[in-house]
Amino acid sequence: MLVQKTGFKTMSQFDVLFEPLNINKLTIRNRIVSTAHAEVYATDGGMTTDRYVKYYEEKAKGGCGLCICGGSSVVSIDSPQSWWSSVNLSTDRIIPHFQNLADAVHKHGGKIMIQITHMGRRSRWDGENWPNLMSPSGIREPVHRATCKTIEEEEIWRVIGDFAQAARRAKEGGLDGVELSAVHQHMIDQFWSPRVNKRTDKWGGSFENRMRFGMEVLKAVREEVGPDFVVGLRITGDEFHPDGLNHDDMKEIAAYYNATGQIDYFGVVGSGCDTHNTLANVIPNMSYPPEPFLHLAAGIKEVVDVPVIHAQNIKDPNQAKRIVEAGYVDFVGMTRAHIADPHLIAKIKMDQVDQIRQCVGANYCIDRQYMGLDVLCIQNAATSREYMGLPHIIEKTAGPVRKVVVVGGGPGGLEAARVAAERGHNVTLIEKGEELGGQLTLAAKAPQRDQIAGITRWLVMELERLGVDIRLGTAADAGLVRELNPDVCVLATGGRPFIDQNPEWGAEEGLITASWDILSGKVEPGKNILIYDTICEFSGMSTADYAAAKGSLVELVTDDIKPGVGIGGTTFPTYYRSLYEKEVIMTSDFMLEKVYREGDSLVAVLENEYTGQREERVVDQVVVENGIRPNEELYYELKEESRNKGQIDNDALFDIKPQPVLLESASESGDGMILWRLGDCVSQRNVHAAMYDALRLCKDL
Amino acid sequence: MIFEWLHPLLIAAALALAVIGAVRRISLWRAGQPAEQSISLIAGLLTIPKRYFHDLHDIVERDKYMAKTHVAAGGGFVLSAVLIIVVHLFGIESKILAWGLLAALALMFVGGLMVAKRRQNPPSRISKGPWMRLPKSLLSFAGAFFVLTLPAAGVLPEGTGGWILTIVLTALIIWGMGEMFFGMTWGGPMKHAFAGALHLAFHRRQERFGGGRSTGLKPVDLGQDILGVSKPTDFKWNQLLGFDACVQCGRCEAMCPAFAAGQPLNPKKLIQDMVVGLAGGTDANYAGSPYPGKDVGSAKGGPTQIITEGLVDPETLWSCTTCRACVEECPMMIEHVDAIVDMRRFLTMEKGNTPNKGAEVLDNIIATDNPNGYAPASRTNWAADQNLAVMKDVKEADVLFWVSDGAFDMRSQRILRSFVKLLKAANVDFAVLGDEELDSGDVARRLGDDAAFQSLAKRNIEIMSQYKFKRIVTTDPHAYHCLRNEYADFGGDLFKNVEVLHHTTFLNELVQQGKLKLDTFSGGTVTYHDPCYLGRYNGEYEAPRELLRSLGIEVAEMERSGFRSRCCGGGGGAPITDIPGERRIADMRMEDVNTTGAELVAVGCQQCTAMLEGVVEPRPEVKDIAEILADQLIEEVH
Ligand SMILES: Cc1cc2nc3c(=O)[nH]c(=O)nc-3n(C[C@H](O)[C@H](O)[C@H](O)COP(=O)(O)O)c2cc1C
Ligand code: SF4
Ligand code: SF4
Ligand code: SF4
Repeated sequence: MLVQKTGFKTMSQFDVLFEPLNINKLTIRNRIVSTAHAEVYATDGGMTTDRYVKYYEEKAKGGCGLCICGGSSVVSIDSPQSWWSSVNLSTDRIIPHFQNLADAVHKHGGKIMIQITHMGRRSRWDGENWPNLMSPSGIREPVHRATCKTIEEEEIWRVIGDFAQAARRAKEGGLDGVELSAVHQHMIDQFWSPRVNKRTDKWGGSFENRMRFGMEVLKAVREEVGPDFVVGLRITGDEFHPDGLNHDDMKEIAAYYNATGQIDYFGVVGSGCDTHNTLANVIPNMSYPPEPFLHLAAGIKEVVDVPVIHAQNIKDPNQAKRIVEAGYVDFVGMTRAHIADPHLIAKIKMDQVDQIRQCVGANYCIDRQYMGLDVLCIQNAATSREYMGLPHIIEKTAGPVRKVVVVGGGPGGLEAARVAAERGHNVTLIEKGEELGGQLTLAAKAPQRDQIAGITRWLVMELERLGVDIRLGTAADAGLVRELNPDVCVLATGGRPFIDQNPEWGAEEGLITASWDILSGKVEPGKNILIYDTICEFSGMSTADYAAAKGSLVELVTDDIKPGVGIGGTTFPTYYRSLYEKEVIMTSDFMLEKVYREGDSLVAVLENEYTGQREERVVDQVVVENGIRPNEELYYELKEESRNKGQIDNDALFDIKPQPVLLESASESGDGMILWRLGDCVSQRNVHAAMYDALRLCKDL
Repeated sequence: MIFEWLHPLLIAAALALAVIGAVRRISLWRAGQPAEQSISLIAGLLTIPKRYFHDLHDIVERDKYMAKTHVAAGGGFVLSAVLIIVVHLFGIESKILAWGLLAALALMFVGGLMVAKRRQNPPSRISKGPWMRLPKSLLSFAGAFFVLTLPAAGVLPEGTGGWILTIVLTALIIWGMGEMFFGMTWGGPMKHAFAGALHLAFHRRQERFGGGRSTGLKPVDLGQDILGVSKPTDFKWNQLLGFDACVQCGRCEAMCPAFAAGQPLNPKKLIQDMVVGLAGGTDANYAGSPYPGKDVGSAKGGPTQIITEGLVDPETLWSCTTCRACVEECPMMIEHVDAIVDMRRFLTMEKGNTPNKGAEVLDNIIATDNPNGYAPASRTNWAADQNLAVMKDVKEADVLFWVSDGAFDMRSQRILRSFVKLLKAANVDFAVLGDEELDSGDVARRLGDDAAFQSLAKRNIEIMSQYKFKRIVTTDPHAYHCLRNEYADFGGDLFKNVEVLHHTTFLNELVQQGKLKLDTFSGGTVTYHDPCYLGRYNGEYEAPRELLRSLGIEVAEMERSGFRSRCCGGGGGAPITDIPGERRIADMRMEDVNTTGAELVAVGCQQCTAMLEGVVEPRPEVKDIAEILADQLIEEVH
């Protein structure tokens, strides 16, 4: 016997996240915040233009409670904004742009504030206005290789005034508040920290003196904006430097500022940020456990009586709920979580938690940011491209329903299948292997890199939900494609290791091993191995880490300037921690010239790029990571019989317009299927590139 | 004919016995409680013909064949009975009267034949048993009196026929009069005519006649010794009269969703059990479908015996969704829902026996003023980002938006948000009560806790009375029903100048006035599910459909739609009392939807949305009309 379903309102398990809370007089609709991050979208001299507005509007539409935008937005002209296209609050020109931004977010019930700062020594001087960088005591900052002058009293007061003016501009622009950055070693916390503040005047030395600059900024800002406008302060919970501010110092500072009654909330971040190694803590990548620094934020909460916000590796609604429920902090920052899926909150509300595209901590976003490139998500190509018309929610087609065959189950193929299925087409996905994921599956084998498989997991769950016909263990040939007789065939067949580029390496003779074969477990790593890595990104480092973890003695050799040089600022440190600890030898500037066998061993002949000097290494295994060559045979076999001869119209593609062939009737362009290829089967790029192409090609299918 | 005196004597005897039976029967009814509304005897009786030909006939008319049958058999009989008395009992000699009588009898005879035909392959909903002999009784009565009247009409000479004919005729007349006169008041099938006619006159809801609608439950007088109905005599006398009017046609049974789902409820059987109760006895003679899963024959009761101890299992009462499909369908205008809730009131308020989650829900209502025990202060959490005007601040607005308990439920919040979006787009001056709003009390009332309901109603009214507004609009048909039809009993002046509207009615008005600009809808086929508390309870069938039409949607109607809509299973606290059946009502409703090929079911109720979305996928999408409209809203760019 069935029991009548209780359709009556059941208590939602996430209710605590949806309890509104006030910051000052401002009601935030839920407990989830997108914390300040430098988006690198403020073009036109630091203005929040269309792309910027649409990026935040999407988060607000998706239900985010509070967005703190404009990470590291500058208040003064001598804190350069152009390196990271940060928002420029040093001019009134920003005010109308803010109005657009505020309207767009408010329209969807969200609130928006901006982080304002003077970066002090944490910047670069060799561009824009070519300023002398300033800091309390002129001590160089290593991450940006920033030398600087000692700031003078007159300049101090000018910067304080600039803060107040910037806050006024935010207020006049209709934003809901400002966050003063006293974190990541910007001007305010440069004054705080005895590590870099060696002054002996009233701006340094004693606790009160070190606090003075921040207090004067706060006073000036508060005077300018009045009591009701939100002013928050973002601080570190512990600089993690023996000579820096520790957790007790930070509690003291927080309590001191809290006592003014002028701070409406505290944002807390674990770790300082002025060395490569501490910087990695700040935006913890996938090698970190969940919420590694929550205890620091909870410690600050103990000493303040206004709401506390904390972000750092909180990715999952259950985790967020647990944190809020336990009362560690009042608001949970889910910043990268929103970069990966701006509709996170809406999906919680729609009871679609399984459909949330969860951030995997690949840190593609932040690593691009550190290179001054626009922030993009490795797995969500629509993020920040809303203004171009790339959708997060894909609508069903109103046109014909097509039969779509996708060959290859790597990220590009999976995304193509997902988007086509969301459009309502009948999709078949064919994968040669027994597992989906393509190179992501290999990437996930390395120590501390397993979470990258989250990209695959989400895509596969979506395909299952959408009813895509998935055929594993099936190698597609031209015959099979013809038999399936698709309207559209998307090839995403990937590539194969390019280890035969130099015949002297002896790939033919079986002298060398591809990095893939080590990671996949097909070949056991030897006892004493040399890994030659020309790519200098994740694959070589991961192979070295993997082999070392299995007990191999590893030398990682590259012809580039340093191993892993292609990996961004928050990720190479975690590799280095792991590789140095396992005593991997890292050698740069050497080319692999030749490999030959000598008895049971292999001899690798290396040549220094700059001196031509040769060295030999006797090892029992030589592993080569030299990128891949595309698997393009099937493409060339099908190309001629396809309607579009396999061609993709780049004008349309780059403009995010439908491919012209989709708009033509079959009679105009001949019959036969439409054939596209994307991802590494065209040329080696990365996960984002493959998924971006898949999305922009298939969104108009 | 010989024994000239015999037939008048028989007629007189039958009539005398009928009168005795009538007195007895009336005294059974009068053992019930006085009615709320007293109606004078004469005035009442005078209303019968009009009500028969209009109100009752309108319902019977839904089955054209049966309507004609009833006019022939019933009309023929009433006319014949009068003329038989005149011609045969009083012996008035008039050819015209005799011919009139012949015509009436012929009509009745034809009616009898039609009844006979209907009974040849009767649908399962119709009771068998004594009802199967009724066509024969009708034919005997009409046939025998026809022959008996022929001499009076001058067709046959006086004194025609001999012994044999006389004996045969006499036997048939005894049989016919036994059924038609004696049986009418002593409990045969013809009882329906007697009780039915009086029920028309003394119906508890007089407002229903002349096309009116009366659906609000009557309040319990909380000062009484026993709250609710424990034994048949606790019913109002006219409710008892109503039960006796049942013709066991089973139309209610055919419409009842709980019956169809195999839950232990059959509204027809329930009414028959009430008859057993009021007269005393057992259900052994009941010849219709049982309560699903329960045997017939062991139910016993009497006028002063506790109903739920032997006559009706409480599970039967808790299976009802209060959808009113039975009431809507009943040709005798019997009020099943009133009876069911009356008995629930006793179980809940006197016994504390609300099953499953029921007790917990009622405790929640008492502690937190909402059925799910949410912190009252969290009622406006959903609207933290909506910038809604709150009555406490603004004191006055054109429209009071009654948010209802959907405020606590994430799915329902989407409906609320959509509605707010539309209100804002149309520049409506509206405000909400915010945390001052309490649960409407709908669930408490349907679960029989009238004390909790009355307390909520009074407090809500008190809160609302502090503010000025012209209309109350709500997206929740259950709250709508309470506010519109039930609060007035406690409301004093509040509702005199205030109109209560369902959001679909209100939105339709906005669309008609051109205040909302909407794009045409381009999705697939759409059907519409009429929520019981909007449709049958409040007669609003058209506004939702008109709204859908305004989007260019041609509604693919389900067979059961409009006043015949099938309940989603979510009303009356049924999901809370959760009585097991063989199927789920929501699944059956989704099957109805599927027969239309719809990809989207439009609804106008959060509860229906929840129930229908509870059906396992794949199934059509479920959206409230407010959501569909909001999706198509063309927003002005400022
Ligand atoms: C691309 C990117 C840029 C960031 N820039 C800033 C910044 O300018 N100022 C700042 O205070 N935090 C910055 N952050 C740190 C975030 O505010 C946040 O603390 C961090 O991402 C950890 O939270 P999450 O795990 O929810 O992403 C940045 C983070 C990202 C991903
Ligand atoms: S790029 Fe990676 S770390 Fe950044 S948001 Fe996307 S999944 Fe998360
Ligand atoms: S209650 Fe009404 S509908 Fe039901 S069987 Fe009796 S007369 Fe028919
Ligand atoms: S109200 Fe609905 S569920 Fe209850 S008895 Fe009548 S038809 Fe059945």
